[in-house]
Amino acid sequence: MRIAFAGNPNSGKTTMYNALTGRNEKIGNWGGVTVGSKEFQLKKEFAGDKEVIAVDLPGAYSMSPFTPEEGITSEYVRTANPDAIVNIVDATNLSRSLFFTTQLLELGIPVVVALNKTDINEKEGTKIDVNKLSAKLNCPVFETVSTENKGLAEMIAKAISLAGTTQKAPYLQADIDLHDKNAVDAEDRKRYSFVNGIVSDVETRKTLSAETTSADKVDGILTNPIAGILVFAVVMWGVFWVSQAWLGPLVADWLVGWIETFQGWVAGQLENSPAILSALLADGIVGGVGAVVGFLPLVMVMYFLIALLEDCGYMARVSAVMDPIFKRVGLSGKSVIPVVIGTGCGIPAIMACRTIRDERERRATSMLTTFIPCGAKIPVIALFAGAFFNGAGWVSTLSYFLGLVLIFLGALLIKGITGYKYRKSFFIMELPKWKAPSLKFAFKSMMERAKAYIIKAATIILICNTVVQIMQTFDWHFQVVEEGAENTSILASIASPFAILLIPLGFGVWQLAAAAITGFIAKENVVGTLAVVYALTSFIDTEELAMTGGANTVAATMGLTSVTALAYLFFNLYTPPCFAAIGAMNSEMKSRGWLWGAIGLQLGTGYTIAFLINQFGTLFTEGHFAAGFVPGLIAEACMVAAVVLIGKRVRAHFDEQYQLHKASKAAKATA
Amino acid sequence: MNAATIIAIIVIAAILFFAVRYIYKEKKKGKTCIGCPYADSCPRHRQNGAACGSTEQHNMNIR
Repeated sequence: MRIAFAGNPNSGKTTMYNALTGRNEKIGNWGGVTVGSKEFQLKKEFAGDKEVIAVDLPGAYSMSPFTPEEGITSEYVRTANPDAIVNIVDATNLSRSLFFTTQLLELGIPVVVALNKTDINEKEGTKIDVNKLSAKLNCPVFETVSTENKGLAEMIAKAISLAGTTQKAPYLQADIDLHDKNAVDAEDRKRYSFVNGIVSDVETRKTLSAETTSADKVDGILTNPIAGILVFAVVMWGVFWVSQAWLGPLVADWLVGWIETFQGWVAGQLENSPAILSALLADGIVGGVGAVVGFLPLVMVMYFLIALLEDCGYMARVSAVMDPIFKRVGLSGKSVIPVVIGTGCGIPAIMACRTIRDERERRATSMLTTFIPCGAKIPVIALFAGAFFNGAGWVSTLSYFLGLVLIFLGALLIKGITGYKYRKSFFIMELPKWKAPSLKFAFKSMMERAKAYIIKAATIILICNTVVQIMQTFDWHFQVVEEGAENTSILASIASPFAILLIPLGFGVWQLAAAAITGFIAKENVVGTLAVVYALTSFIDTEELAMTGGANTVAATMGLTSVTALAYLFFNLYTPPCFAAIGAMNSEMKSRGWLWGAIGLQLGTGYTIAFLINQFGTLFTEGHFAAGFVPGLIAEACMVAAVVLIGKRVRAHFDEQYQLHKASKAAKATA
Repeated sequence: MNAATIIAIIVIAAILFFAVRYIYKEKKKGKTCIGCPYADSCPRHRQNGAACGSTEQHNMNIR
């Protein structure tokens, strides 16, 4: 038996699906989180002995799809013949939700309405007469609260018992010509008036929707184009300060203390063993992985805070502020969603691009969205902010805002290359109601991310660190490299050619080049590799209860100035993401040209940002340009030339494709 | 070769073996991002899900 879960965006479908199946699908307090259908068996406590499959569908406002996700829902309920439909209705917004309900009721498939979020209605003093609503809709209606499992068992039992029956529709659409827009509009208006009639009969509101509430006033400020961005900047600065300068390092200190003790113990046990074993186990595995795990508390605190912001409804307001800017630079309003998701991980962010209807906008968004630093880059930011800038919160804030600026500039560049003209497009996103964020949700979200982080550290990063340690220990004849002859190691000989290219950026040494290269496997590897190649296993000072500060071991060992450290940080943040994210880009773009264009753009951006920071930073601080200014300038000129050439080629094909009188012009030219 | 050396070799071999085996298993399941909590729910990674580059992006399981 198959039960489909359908309803408006942000009505709580996935929360209910997770509660009924025990799954852990991504949820969020905003519409558009679910972009594809998912299915899983219901828990025994709800399904009993029967095998019942729950199908979670993306949110839809109507059966006439406006977006690709709505298309999935509409097609599924129309053609997949589920045995029953559970229509999740947002009880706080009944009039909007019932439009879709009445359409579902016309399909003949038994429908059970789950009046979700009734707890919010209770708080707001809104009352819905459930029995009356059920009678008017000709279907069972249950009050539910998915987050508390309230009403779910009764609702599912009813849906199972109704399977195989036929639903009688309370409202039937007239037999109209669906190609006639006016007729469809008129029919929709009739349906709305039918729905409004039901709502006025069954609902009693304490606060009418037309009234301006204090929440509306707050929304007015937060979605204001100027004030909204300023508030966003302050909020993000606060998040980074708490996670990376205050609470995060405080917890990290305790963890690092344990790791250091353990590492010392392992090294002590291997005192009489071959040096390579101690280097591999104590420095490579325990030290390298420990260096990455040491940043775990910073990542966890940041995810906890972001989850709180998302759950209370603030991130949806940020989307509304960003929307007009994104459209102006040639992206879709929906591009905001991948960018917000990208703060967690680039892969789901790139996947979220598929909801963008226009192909060029979709490709451009998936190309640019990874400029927003993902969670894997937090340890890199935290390391450099701590070691070179006294853990200043502005480094993280700047990294994220520069990422946003690069998205806008990149979008303008793509717009210029593809010859795109601004057009009006619509991004409809309902602002969710403000609510007190759930600590449970934030804790769960944080723990999921922590688990992912630990698994990654114990697998990919561990193997990479081991390989790096081996490559650093041996030369090409598999002889152990002598002290002082580190430049002869396998790692040094592979990374050195790349290091030459990095001289204009201020970090042309093989150790830093090697760390940047391993970062393409997973960005946390940058920290792990730096720990291994510089034999610095602790980046967090356990005595000072803070990230290792300015003129200390880390900074001194790496031999970087504050300027070159910032250049190296931004180089790692804005060059292409990890290979997994590049794979995701490939599958979303479906074009080799666009994929290589994306990789080229990201490499060029990272290189250019690092070049500008290093050269102009050195000019300001030391009064002269840094080494490799001229070669760097030549490299930049080559990049500009490549962009101009690609632009010309794209537009030439464009002309060829759309020229109406090509044949006659060619004939004239020949004559 | 002392006991500590033997134990260290076994520990290193075991750690690497389990790490590689975990990655191999995950890759076999079709997961690209190791450890990602949402890898299962990602449409690209689910059973009979569309392969990379396929036009069937949303993995609808219509019967």
